[in-house]
Amino acid sequence: MVLLVEDNEKNLKLAKDVLEFAGFIVHVATTGEDALSQARTSPPDLILMDLQLPGIDGHEALSQLRGDPGTSTIPVVALTAFAMRQDREKALSAGFDGYLEKPISVRSFPDQVRAHLRSEDAR
Amino acid sequence: MVALNGGVEEARSAVDQARLHAELAEAQAQLAGMSEILSVLARSSSAQDDVFDAIVENARRLCRAQAALIYLVHDGTYTLAKSVGSTPEFAEFTVSRPIVQDRTTLVGRVSLDRRTQQIADVLADPDYGGQDLQRLGGYRSIIGAPMLVDDEVVGVLLVWRTSVEPFDARVSSLLTTFAAQAALALRNVQLFRTLKRRSAQLARKVEQLEALAEVGKAISSSLDADEVLSTIVTHAVELSGTDGGSLMEYDEETHLFGVRTAYGTSPAVIDTLRATRIHVDETLVGRAALSRKPIQLPDLENVELDPHLQVLYDGGWRSLVAIPLVRPDRVVGALVVRRKKPGTFSDETCEMLTAFASQSAVALTNARLYQQLERQSIELAEASAHKSEFLASMSHELRTPLNAVIGFSEVLLERMFGELNERQADYLQDILGSGKHLLALLNDVLDLSKVEAGQMELDQTTFAAQDALQYAMSLVRERAVQHGITTKLDLAPHLGSIRADELRFKQVLLNLLSNAVKFTPDGGRVTVAAWKAATDFIVTVSDTGVGILPADQERIFDSFQQGGRSTAKVEGTGLGLTLTKRIVELHGGRLWLTSEPGAGSTFGFSVPQDPALTAPVPSPEHWRSLPVDDNRPSVVIIEDDASSSELAALRLATAGLRPVVVPTGEEGLEAVHALGPAAVILDIHLPGMDGWDVLSTLKADPATTAIPVVVVSVFPDRARGIALGASDYLVKPVAKDELLASIRRVVAR
Repeated sequence: MVLLVEDNEKNLKLAKDVLEFAGFIVHVATTGEDALSQARTSPPDLILMDLQLPGIDGHEALSQLRGDPGTSTIPVVALTAFAMRQDREKALSAGFDGYLEKPISVRSFPDQVRAHLRSEDAR
Repeated sequence: MVALNGGVEEARSAVDQARLHAELAEAQAQLAGMSEILSVLARSSSAQDDVFDAIVENARRLCRAQAALIYLVHDGTYTLAKSVGSTPEFAEFTVSRPIVQDRTTLVGRVSLDRRTQQIADVLADPDYGGQDLQRLGGYRSIIGAPMLVDDEVVGVLLVWRTSVEPFDARVSSLLTTFAAQAALALRNVQLFRTLKRRSAQLARKVEQLEALAEVGKAISSSLDADEVLSTIVTHAVELSGTDGGSLMEYDEETHLFGVRTAYGTSPAVIDTLRATRIHVDETLVGRAALSRKPIQLPDLENVELDPHLQVLYDGGWRSLVAIPLVRPDRVVGALVVRRKKPGTFSDETCEMLTAFASQSAVALTNARLYQQLERQSIELAEASAHKSEFLASMSHELRTPLNAVIGFSEVLLERMFGELNERQADYLQDILGSGKHLLALLNDVLDLSKVEAGQMELDQTTFAAQDALQYAMSLVRERAVQHGITTKLDLAPHLGSIRADELRFKQVLLNLLSNAVKFTPDGGRVTVAAWKAATDFIVTVSDTGVGILPADQERIFDSFQQGGRSTAKVEGTGLGLTLTKRIVELHGGRLWLTSEPGAGSTFGFSVPQDPALTAPVPSPEHWRSLPVDDNRPSVVIIEDDASSSELAALRLATAGLRPVVVPTGEEGLEAVHALGPAAVILDIHLPGMDGWDVLSTLKADPATTAIPVVVVSVFPDRARGIALGASDYLVKPVAKDELLASIRRVVAR
């Protein structure tokens, strides 16, 4: 089960459709607060997190997830339209387990997500 | 008769001889006197006194007089400068009785007539008016000669006798000569004084110039205006021999002068000065600035004090000069030097201070410009930061909807939600294509702005050039095939590795390649060639397209230009070549174009390679033509991948071995037979005969069975290698030390 955190309605729908088509079970959240509460009540196998969110942003949400023993081990992958090299470095050094850039490639997106699930399984 | 005559002759001759003798003695005495004077003259042109002493002494003696005196003219009257044989009372009296140029005295007459003359008896001369002098001097016969310098009478030399005993022609001529020498001495002294004054002036000038040069150096070497200005003030004060000074800056907006730096001034006075309103219209400093001329105040005691002067006066200052600091178009400030005592400042000092002031004006102007520049560069940096922020956020804002456009088009084209009819699929393809085009444009804009902002950093690594070239080619092959375009990779043998930012290198290749494919008509040809030159790695991409007009060849690298080749079917961002060029230049390389309209274009670029990394590659050496005098142990490397063999060869060469690279198994066997190497390095994956066969053949042949073989392969099949007789088995990638250690081990065995 994947928790998809995305405030843009259309992009949320796109990623959800593509992942569901590929066989994932997808839960969605549109704010950081929503994502945190969902992650606590029903911890997903992976969180795909937009960085720019209203209220609590992606970086803040990540640190709260990591700070909570109930959610600290859930892999969190950034899914963002920030495309600068330093954005990627910043996210990875902040502790995100991966960094996926928008626009996503519909064909390879499910595999990219699956790769992060696999690496989690391997742990 | 003869005898008588002879006797008379002899007698006369004896008289003559005695006279001659006396004259000779006198001439000798004169000569001695002259030479004494001359030697004094020569010895010391400055000591006028010594010369005059010698002259009066000798004149008195040789003229057989009781006294000799030298009078010098000053402002039309004669005063006694030197005397011998007269009384102190006489000398004292003459001080209060200057002699005018008239006929009442001998000095007056000599001066008027400009010739030597005497008064046989002053008491018998009706015109003589120097009775007062005569009473003190007690002289009767007196003779004087003019001292002429440049035809002008500058003094009179005279001697007297206290009895009436007129002087003969000999004395007259002797005295004339002495007077001439005295004049000469005087002239020399004057010259010497002038010289001394000039050289002192010169020395001061040199000192000033040196100080100015130092100031100039400070100005050019330091952007710290305060440091420069305090250097200026310090030198100005020291060179003008004053006690202190200050340098003020003029603010055009407030019309006020502010003390910038000071020297020799107490902190209390500086503080008070800084707090004082020094207005351009209300102060001496302002007056100097407005008149653009120095103004001096020799004594503050006697003038009305403006606020600035009041502070100085209260601080114990008594005189000053204010020098304006001006540029041709405006007032910059003022330099003020001061003394604790009243007194004037010479023209020379003012002149020197003016020179300092003009240097200060330059320094202050420079400092202002520098401050302005600094402010502007901060503003620029801020603007640039804003621009970067703007681009980052714009990129983000554009990517978000593009994600939906591209993503949903792909979802539908993937038939995730059912079949599409042909027209729907076609339109969706157009939407997807346009979305991707927008994305490419966005990426190029971002990259370009990064390059222009100096923010694009290269991540340089060493990688196999051939792989990068093949990769780029593979990305355009599909499109080329669709249009019946032949693609060809024309690579130099042993291309090896290249040092560059791999991603950027591929980006450049891909841009040139996709342009070439784009602009080549169906059925054309695109060729990529690559080789290593002396210090560069060079790649060219040639097409058989429409070519580019010479007029367009220059501007094609500018943003949003597609030359004359832009047609309806061609899409592109118009930024690709600009970006490509910048990336190549960022690598230190060059991008160029040769084209013939109608025949095609060739774009080439170079990437400079560090000679230290690429130079010592010995691999192209062919085993058949090895020099015979090479005594290094040889190692045959049987390896078809150029970059691998090159690397291995380099490692062996640095260890003092002679690497011999052979690209196939068949040739490898030949080389081993011919060379009898110390060892063989063997790859397994080879074209034709593979490594296993080579190994078995070598080990089965008595001539080569003893030669150790190290297998280096991507296949982890050590057991099979050892079973076939390999001495060692390494799995790629092999570390440098690992390979060398293995070779040493097997050779030693």
